[in-house]
Amino acid sequence: MMGESFAWIQRASPVQWIAPHLRSRVLVAVVFLLALLFPVIHRNDADIDSAANALTYAALALGLNIVVGLAGLLDLGYAAFFAIGAYTYGVAASWQVAPEWTSFWETFQWLGLVARFHDSGGDVVHFQVSFWLMMPAAAALTAFFGVLFGAPTLRLKGDYLAIVTLGFGEIVPIVVRNTPSLTNGAMGLNGVMAPQLFGWSFGVDATPYYYVGLLLVAFLILTSQRLKFSRIGRAWMAIREDEIAAAAMGINRVKLKLLAFATGAAFAGATGTLFVAKLQTATPDMFGFPVSVMILVMIVFGGIGSVWGVVLGALILQMLQSWFLEDLSQWLQALGRLFGVDWLQRVELASSIELIFGLILVTMMLYRRDGLIPATRRVAALSLEQQSAPVTRGGFDSLRGLGALDQTLDRPGAGPLLEIANLTVRFGGLVALREVALGVPAHSVLAVIGPNGSGKSTLFNAMTGLVSAEEGSIRFAGAEILGRPPHAVLERGIARTFQNIRLFPNLTVLENVLVGMHARLHTGPLGALLRLPATHREEAAARERAREILAVFGNRLLPRVDHVTASLSYANRRRVEIARALASEPKLLLLDEPTAGMNPAETLELAEQIQSLHRLGLTIVLIEHKLDVVVNLADKVIVLDHGEKIAEGSPAEIRRDEEVIRAYLGRSAAIV
Amino acid sequence: MDPGLRRELGAAAVITPLLEFSGVDTHYGDLHVLKSVDYRIEEGEIVSLLGGNASGKSTTMKTIMGVVVPTAGEVRFDGKSLAGVSVAERVRRGIAPVLEARRLFPRMTVYENLEMGAYTRPRGPEFAQDLERVFTLFPRVKERLKQLAGTLSGGEQQMVAIGRALMAHPRLLCMDEPSMGLAPVLVEQVFDIIQTINRQGTTIFMVEQNANMALAIADRAYVLQTGQVVLSGAAAELRQNPMIREAYLGEMKVE
Amino acid sequence: MTAEAVLLQQVINGLSLGAMYALLALGFTLVYGILELINFAHFNVFMVSSFIGMGALELLGLSGQDTVLTGLALAGALAFAFIVTMLAAGIIGVVIERIALRPLRGVRGTAAMITTIGVSYILFNIILLTVGASSMNYPNPLPSVRWDVAGAVLELREVLIWGVSVVLMLGLHLFVTRTRLGKAMRATAQDPEAARMMGVDVDRVIVTAFFLGSALAGAAALIFGLYYNFTSFIIGYTAGLRAFTAAVLGGIGSVTGAMVGGVLIGLIESLGGHFLEVRWADVIIFSILVLVLVFAPNGLFGRATVTRS
Repeated sequence: MMGESFAWIQRASPVQWIAPHLRSRVLVAVVFLLALLFPVIHRNDADIDSAANALTYAALALGLNIVVGLAGLLDLGYAAFFAIGAYTYGVAASWQVAPEWTSFWETFQWLGLVARFHDSGGDVVHFQVSFWLMMPAAAALTAFFGVLFGAPTLRLKGDYLAIVTLGFGEIVPIVVRNTPSLTNGAMGLNGVMAPQLFGWSFGVDATPYYYVGLLLVAFLILTSQRLKFSRIGRAWMAIREDEIAAAAMGINRVKLKLLAFATGAAFAGATGTLFVAKLQTATPDMFGFPVSVMILVMIVFGGIGSVWGVVLGALILQMLQSWFLEDLSQWLQALGRLFGVDWLQRVELASSIELIFGLILVTMMLYRRDGLIPATRRVAALSLEQQSAPVTRGGFDSLRGLGALDQTLDRPGAGPLLEIANLTVRFGGLVALREVALGVPAHSVLAVIGPNGSGKSTLFNAMTGLVSAEEGSIRFAGAEILGRPPHAVLERGIARTFQNIRLFPNLTVLENVLVGMHARLHTGPLGALLRLPATHREEAAARERAREILAVFGNRLLPRVDHVTASLSYANRRRVEIARALASEPKLLLLDEPTAGMNPAETLELAEQIQSLHRLGLTIVLIEHKLDVVVNLADKVIVLDHGEKIAEGSPAEIRRDEEVIRAYLGRSAAIV
Repeated sequence: MDPGLRRELGAAAVITPLLEFSGVDTHYGDLHVLKSVDYRIEEGEIVSLLGGNASGKSTTMKTIMGVVVPTAGEVRFDGKSLAGVSVAERVRRGIAPVLEARRLFPRMTVYENLEMGAYTRPRGPEFAQDLERVFTLFPRVKERLKQLAGTLSGGEQQMVAIGRALMAHPRLLCMDEPSMGLAPVLVEQVFDIIQTINRQGTTIFMVEQNANMALAIADRAYVLQTGQVVLSGAAAELRQNPMIREAYLGEMKVE
Repeated sequence: MTAEAVLLQQVINGLSLGAMYALLALGFTLVYGILELINFAHFNVFMVSSFIGMGALELLGLSGQDTVLTGLALAGALAFAFIVTMLAAGIIGVVIERIALRPLRGVRGTAAMITTIGVSYILFNIILLTVGASSMNYPNPLPSVRWDVAGAVLELREVLIWGVSVVLMLGLHLFVTRTRLGKAMRATAQDPEAARMMGVDVDRVIVTAFFLGSALAGAAALIFGLYYNFTSFIIGYTAGLRAFTAAVLGGIGSVTGAMVGGVLIGLIESLGGHFLEVRWADVIIFSILVLVLVFAPNGLFGRATVTRS
């Protein structure tokens, strides 16, 4: 992403001798070095102070970007977490709370967390926990609050979540104001300790805070980047793009949303520590709605979801606020004096900064929603040569990890792999499925046919946990799966495609397939952050396997691995969806009209590929309207009409069944 | 007009079709849906549009109504181009839709749903006449005027949906899968009603999956596949065409 | 006062607050019903309108609570103020829709909602920069007429607030059930695509919803000023959040729900403030919002699905 955004640099000659894959790294190193040298070169304390503040906001923007940009959860009360972090350190390193001294505190005194202070009314405890200890501690505590707040609310639809977070953002300052014993209420915390390093106190000099801020931002950029391009980041983006599809591909939505919320909150908590240490005071007003909006404006301006974009957005807007607006006001005032215009002489742009933020927010939304540095990469269209490459026809001979079953399930007489009994699904008064029963033996292909609206897709939805059934049972590989959440169903080995194709439109073909592997990979947030050799190996193997799966479709998808799926043709989207399902190493594959929207040649090609999957041992249930496909692929056919199973048998038997002819094929008597 | 009479007249004079698509393309974002499609629907006909899911049938209906705007080509109604014509004006000129899956307004009464069908027309004697016509075709609808549409059965909903479209007093009725989700006996009823409406003088353009049924009552048909018309002609002939029998009637060779 | 009288007094106060929240909640619900969009600009359309109402009353030479009118003069002054405020508020709503929201129609995700936050913020800062941060004394021409009802005091302003609210809500109800445009509005809320296919000009319906919702917010704003005798740039968020809670409690998208929810929130605020401390009122109301959203997302009269399956 960096390489692309800064493509213009590559045209300048001095960078020519840097290897292309290193250029973005060199650029980052140069920027970081310049930032390190800034206070040494500039030496203006006021400017260094502004820069330190700007870094604080960049850190906040990075945190909000995890929540809003990656996971797609609009949080309008983000400043509340900032407040919790700030007050956590503020209370732990000030005179605000001073209980009477008892022997209980001696251990803490020995650890250096508290001091014994002689007061006129007796000895009291003075909290003086180290800044360096409190920064991670506050981050952890804020993350805990993030989980506490997120657990009940993250199930809400996006816009409701927004208003609940807005309320949360309003409530936290109110609670702070209403609990003066802990926070000194509206008067504000006083005498917060400055951080100390090897006995030297930071005091009020801006430079040390600048360096702490710089290191914090650098660390958070690294964290964001590593998370974004990991199993975790892909899962977040999948949830953002299509929650239902994400769940059906094995992503535990609640867990990952909570993780995003907690991560974002932790960023804010750590930043709050720095903020309060630098100011050495805090009042509830510092964490109101305007702060939440300002951070939102920063990430919208920089580019929602783009790590470098939001840092740039935060820095630019803060610089605008502290430097440029003042200069501009002075110029305008000078202009006013020159021409004798009274109101120009009184212009104070700095006070209208929030108005300007509002205007930026609306303008960006209307004219440049992707921000300064867009997060989505658009890859150039294929060359004519690539497009017209001959299409491979037919099936394939091998693909690893298909349909492998336990020995117990795979021996003769083990019973069907999937067994549905008495399944009834009701939507309001409408019966979508009535007492449906079916069995799918391992390694077989079952076709489900029936007119539109007969309940076929509902059957798939009930099997994959997307709709709840009124009664019945669905046993898969010997265990009941009815009532299990979608991600748990996928983990057990059932993967599906959707009739109206539910890909993650702004993710690439490769990323879509990698999301399909979510349940089979193990990298957690810590692994992604540390990038241990094991993580590296796992990721490389996953990419290798994703390409293998895409190769199933010959050269249809391989030249397009880095294209966002929104730019693909209808048939290719279907293929990516099947590839994504295969990536989860399913034991049972559910295909919902895989050939819809394909022409006869494409249909034949795909039918042969499905045939290959079957030959390689995969068990398949297929909803299909094209009966020639059904006849060629299926071992058995069931016919649904009005949510009821009206026939079951071999394709040939179904063809002869009078009721099927009447219900599904229509009143053929009229035409014969 | 009687289709037979129309055909005799057609031999004598060049008649402008009621609805004509010439070289129509449509896109959804990067997705190319209809690809240079031509249709020609004469006044008084029943024309069926057959094709699998995602072949572009519903897009055709949306293009006729003006909800989807063609990226190339032209749609003409009664000889006049529909480019830039609003949905309301199309309804006023005589095109009315029966939407896929009925799509009634569930928390409005049956009467209010019928009123919405006549949204573009003033209340007056014609409104009352059309209402009477709907009641004659569907006596059941009259019994349920005050009921909320969402509480009706599927068959009743389809009757209200057709009635709602008739309230626009259309010359062309565009039906998107009228048989969807209905019990076989109801499907036959609906198709009988469609024929009755057609005999009363309304031209019908119908998207259908139930190919046998659609071809049984249609004069002509088009077959759509991945956004292209791959086959068209008289319904009786298409019923004998091996390609359509294989692909859409399930007349496959049983080995 | 006896305990019963105190309670009755709180109910009277709660009904007045509730009438105001109900009017404000209707604006959220009308727009949400059609666009499934939480219109954050509504918060500050309300706030700006209170200043417009103040201007309208001052235009009549009224300021503070010293000039008291009676009879026809009072009726005329109030009618003028309500009409001017509601019209101006309605126009603000229409302008917001045309400039900031119509270009985003069909853009998926949170773009439209973020835009309304931006618009809200702009309105907020325009007032902050032009009027300033201090509270303004609100002109109030109402004479101090009061009745004793079982020991509690019923003032003329309460009766006025109830009267105006009932008339406006009845008017809205008649509009959506009896008029052609009102029916088109309900149809669009239930199935926008089908409504469009019937020939409904959906853009016109949306503009109407914004106009009506904002005009009702205008009425609520004037009521706020007459009730509290002050206004300030800050009133939008608190009142807005409570009104939104009312809309959710009643079932968002439901006109009846917004009315009932508004009255309930008003009663909860006044009785809650009576039994608990007033400074915790926002915490209580916010907790209700979260509890309703999590456990009864459809509210009392709603049908919208708030959670995803």
